[in-house]
Amino acid sequence: MTTMSPQYSVPINTIEITEKAASKVRQFAAEKGMEEFGLRVAVKGGGCSGLTYVLEIVDGPEDDDKLIEHHGVEVYVPKKAFVFLAGTVLDFSDGLNGKGFEFANPNAAKTCGCGTSFSV
Amino acid sequence: MRGIDFLYAVFNQFMFDANHNQLNAFEKGCAIVRWVKPTIIKMIGTDALDLLHRLTTKELLTVDVGSARRTVLTSNRGRVIDVFVVAHVIENTLLIISDSEDPARTISAIDFFTIIEDSELKDLSDSHTRISLVGPKTREIMASALGLNIDSDEVINLDYSGSQVTFSSDTSRGVSWVDVVLRSPEVGLVSALLSAGAVEADGDNFELFRISREIPGWDREYGDHANPIESGLYSLIDFDKGCYVGQEVIARLDTYDKVKRSVKVLESKLPLAKGSKLTSGSKLAGIVTSPSSLASLDGRYLSLALVRKAFCKTASVVDSQGISAVVR
Repeated sequence: MTTMSPQYSVPINTIEITEKAASKVRQFAAEKGMEEFGLRVAVKGGGCSGLTYVLEIVDGPEDDDKLIEHHGVEVYVPKKAFVFLAGTVLDFSDGLNGKGFEFANPNAAKTCGCGTSFSV
Repeated sequence: MRGIDFLYAVFNQFMFDANHNQLNAFEKGCAIVRWVKPTIIKMIGTDALDLLHRLTTKELLTVDVGSARRTVLTSNRGRVIDVFVVAHVIENTLLIISDSEDPARTISAIDFFTIIEDSELKDLSDSHTRISLVGPKTREIMASALGLNIDSDEVINLDYSGSQVTFSSDTSRGVSWVDVVLRSPEVGLVSALLSAGAVEADGDNFELFRISREIPGWDREYGDHANPIESGLYSLIDFDKGCYVGQEVIARLDTYDKVKRSVKVLESKLPLAKGSKLTSGSKLAGIVTSPSSLASLDGRYLSLALVRKAFCKTASVVDSQGISAVVR
């Protein structure tokens, strides 16, 4: 999981996942045998820069989650975490220099070397 | 008579010496230190320990109920926000015990990183008292006065005269140390410890002991002006624990040997001033962080200072506002 420099234009009242990322989510859900699923995207304290991304395939939203749908995948974002993620694009990279989900987060002022954490 | 010697002679008439009885308790017995402005914070929630583990320098996931560990909270620039003991009092309930006089700053820093976690902070600093028992006979005196046998880094809760008291052992300072947290007032607990042979120490003598043992102090050796390595808190960093806030900066400082200063004890004939610069010739050699106002028993004044590496060698002589000081 890494952070990309923002190169997408996404309205700040939502977050997006690319078709490639959505496809990977569906693949992981299928491997886990889940028929009903969504991707929970959140932020928690910790990591070199202070805030760490959380990604989890879950079977449904929690009460306080904001629900967004892209490319047939439901994305659940806790309202408290949304302020740190608004305008973010989630992609999946399988390039030579790293494989995994990547965040392009316009709120990230600084990211750590491995890209799993950021500060605002 | 040289000017500095005259000043020394005049000064000595007005200065106080260390209290032998109190210093002896720190070194050979058990001294009682009352914290005037304690920082005591309760942290409750299923994610509380995990959150502190992710934010601070020590591995905390193995701090089981009934145990404690001291850790450092740093900013993402690797500067020290606070240093505190995490005492796992009961399941999902922690006590944060710090030498800081600014609980709001610590609470605010932890709060900032509490987003989706089940974790809540409550400031007990005004409603509770903190006492520290320091010295090699601390355990012996606790056993005699209270019937308690406390192990290293152990936390014990005790009902004492109807008041809930928490004892938290801390091995991180290189001396035998137990923090006692209880609801104010202290319901005769100190009297029981005094009867068993403990000695109550005042702030000045505690400072002298702290300086002589090179124990870093809040807002002196560590704080927003310094990183934990130069502040003498190296043993409170787990370099193999993985990410925490500030980890990248601290790991880089250590790996590439970029730390430029170190905490050192200085000895001088006259007391130094806090914040005064240390020089060697025309070069800046460091800054005085904790000067003792009391002369030690052999008549010298001790201070702690953040000294630049080039001047850290034992017996190096530096100057502070015209007063000569020797690096111990």
